[in-house]
Amino acid sequence: MRGALVGALLIALLCLLAALPHRDALAPDIDHGLTAMGAPLSPSGDALLGTDDLGRDVFARISAGTATSLELATLSTLLALAIGLVVGLCAGYAGGAIDNVLMRLVDLVLAFPFLLLAILLAALLREADLASANAPVVLTLGIVGWTTTARVIRGKTLTLARSEYVVAARAVGCSPLRIIVRHILPNVAGLVAVLAALAFAQNLLAESVLSYLGLGLPPPAPTWGRMLFEARAYYRSAPWLTIAPGLAILTAVVAFNLLAEGLRARFDPKERR
Amino acid sequence: MKRLLLILAACSAPDRAPHWRAAGNAQPHDGGTLRLSVKDELRTLDPAIAYDDVSSWVLHSIYATLVDFDSTLQLRERLAEHYAIEDAGKTLHFWLRAGITYEDGRPIVAADFKTSLERVLAMPESPFGQYLASIDGADAMLAGKATTCPGIEARGDRELVLHLTKPDRLLLPALAMSFAAPLPADYLAKVGAELRRRPLASGRFTLGAWDEGRRITLLRNPHLQPGDHVFLDEIDVLESVPRDTQFLMFERGELDAADRLTSADYVWLVSQAPWQPYLHRAVGLNAFGVRMNTRRKPFDDRRVRQALNYALDKDHTVKLLNGAAVASHGILPPGMPGRADLAPYPHDPAKARALLAEAGYPHGFDVEYVTFPDEEAEKVAASLQADLGEVGVHVRVALMSLSAFQSEVGRPDGAPFSFWAWTGDFPDPGNFIDVNFASRMIADTNSNNNTFYASPALDAAIDAGDYAKAERILYDDAPWIWNYHRESVEVTQPYVKGYEPHPVWGRDYTSAWLDVGPDGKPVPR
Repeated sequence: MRGALVGALLIALLCLLAALPHRDALAPDIDHGLTAMGAPLSPSGDALLGTDDLGRDVFARISAGTATSLELATLSTLLALAIGLVVGLCAGYAGGAIDNVLMRLVDLVLAFPFLLLAILLAALLREADLASANAPVVLTLGIVGWTTTARVIRGKTLTLARSEYVVAARAVGCSPLRIIVRHILPNVAGLVAVLAALAFAQNLLAESVLSYLGLGLPPPAPTWGRMLFEARAYYRSAPWLTIAPGLAILTAVVAFNLLAEGLRARFDPKERR
Repeated sequence: MKRLLLILAACSAPDRAPHWRAAGNAQPHDGGTLRLSVKDELRTLDPAIAYDDVSSWVLHSIYATLVDFDSTLQLRERLAEHYAIEDAGKTLHFWLRAGITYEDGRPIVAADFKTSLERVLAMPESPFGQYLASIDGADAMLAGKATTCPGIEARGDRELVLHLTKPDRLLLPALAMSFAAPLPADYLAKVGAELRRRPLASGRFTLGAWDEGRRITLLRNPHLQPGDHVFLDEIDVLESVPRDTQFLMFERGELDAADRLTSADYVWLVSQAPWQPYLHRAVGLNAFGVRMNTRRKPFDDRRVRQALNYALDKDHTVKLLNGAAVASHGILPPGMPGRADLAPYPHDPAKARALLAEAGYPHGFDVEYVTFPDEEAEKVAASLQADLGEVGVHVRVALMSLSAFQSEVGRPDGAPFSFWAWTGDFPDPGNFIDVNFASRMIADTNSNNNTFYASPALDAAIDAGDYAKAERILYDDAPWIWNYHRESVEVTQPYVKGYEPHPVWGRDYTSAWLDVGPDGKPVPR
């Protein structure tokens, strides 16, 4: 549980970082934020983490980027969980042909490498005229990332569907929807929490990868991945541009993995014993 | 303690000064391979088709033309011994040099020029046909209604006469481009479409090998034209090498020259005294700005276009580009004949706001700015977004793939507000102003005039050849937000001597030689 506490503490710190007041993270500051040659300024008392190639304060962008990255990861995790939960519950409860069809769909999605499929979808969705700038990234990660949840929930549902209280509920005439919502869903909630924390860490990383490949949010939106992408040419002359978002990504991924591990231990009956 | 010192030594900054030095040979000498890289792939070596930055200098190395531009932008005879403009500009008369040959030793004759020019006219996919449109009979060939062009006349082996329907000042400089290089009819019949990878060299280099998408090797032509000399045995070009990787390879000594440096590498290089002697700069034949579709609201109002020119701070752009650019007042780059003596629009947000209010936009407007993924284009977009935001014009930046971008900006109903840049094919103001702004260049698809700007006054100035007046009209009407002209910077290893970038063709290694040791290897510093 100590790991989960550390994870929760780190997440709280990240939320605090996202909420901190900071300078304008979007507008270039060409007059004051660059050297006479137009190069980024190194970290100093004036700019704690230095400036980027447009003269923008790196600390401000990290702070604003934390909010953006967490928002994207939250939305895409919710979408992936929703799809995975519905598919997993339906497959596990219905069994038979429905289970077969849904699990083959899972196999089909898993047959494509995660990153390849994400790049393909992100490129296609970017061309589509979607209402929100966040939508292509959220949809991509949601559509690509639901399969693990579906498989795990299906397995658990298969066991639960054969349990005595579910058989009893069925015998007294409860509808399948009522059985799923009232009797099965509460019993997979702990598992969903663990999956959510793991998926969150994975989506954070995946969003950074997509942004790094130029398939994330359009400029000037600050996300950690986009900051890394923009800093790639400066890794020798202005290393702070790479280190700051790199550390942010590392911290967030470690934090959510620690939390997931703690939650897993909390909901695992064997470990509780 | 010893371990600590070892760790400190391992952590110390690497030595990034040149690893090699010139061997100190007083006289240039033959031999050696120059190793380069390019960011993109070479698509074709067919001179009637190839039309991009990479193929421009590669083809110019392989093919020779009647005339050529020297390093001071002067047009000089090359395969032509001399030429004359006769009949009040309606006839171009060329006399070929004696003893000129292809790489296989066969002689170059006047009929070979007729063959290659007619081939361009007969190929709908060639982007160069319009350059020859003023030749008598070219129209019929371009329309696919004729197979020969009576206006191109080969008189014997050494005289070529071009009969024009009207004087055309752009034709002569256009003949310096590789599409106008000679090719014999029997060779074309033999190789057919394979010409794209089997050129017949008349220039200083021949094609040695081409592993498409990976590497192209040029060898010194064994049958150089009389009077020509080349020091290098070979030029080895790696394709598809990203710009930052290129510089790493250069530093490790795997390349002998690097150009189009990233901003980070450029800033680092110019701050390093040991590298200064090996930096080569040239003002490019280019113009960068923001094109506005002058038929679409709000850009149909000249006051709006002028307001945006006042709103953009060009000094910001120049600083963002690390000083390797100059602010522009129009499309003609510095040094171009006919360039008007005008100052760029000053950065004046108050005047911009007043003009916008006068035009009916007192609170500005929202607009989408289209560009493509590129370090420089995205930086300029961020600066534009900030400057225009200051006067109430809220810019949303949309990134498109390069192919989607190109098709989008050439349509009247495409994106009305976008990044645009023009690199001249040759140093003539007509190649900048006529192509981009003459009303006759407007088309429904792939329009060269992609601002759809039509001005009788400008057309008249173009017809009169008064480009200073044309520039003033364009300055006032502002179909672009005039932004900057880019300087090209290339760095070479200390042992590369005699090299300067060519203002028209970019890279030109005619006079380059390698000052290396007796074993043919660079001498360590």
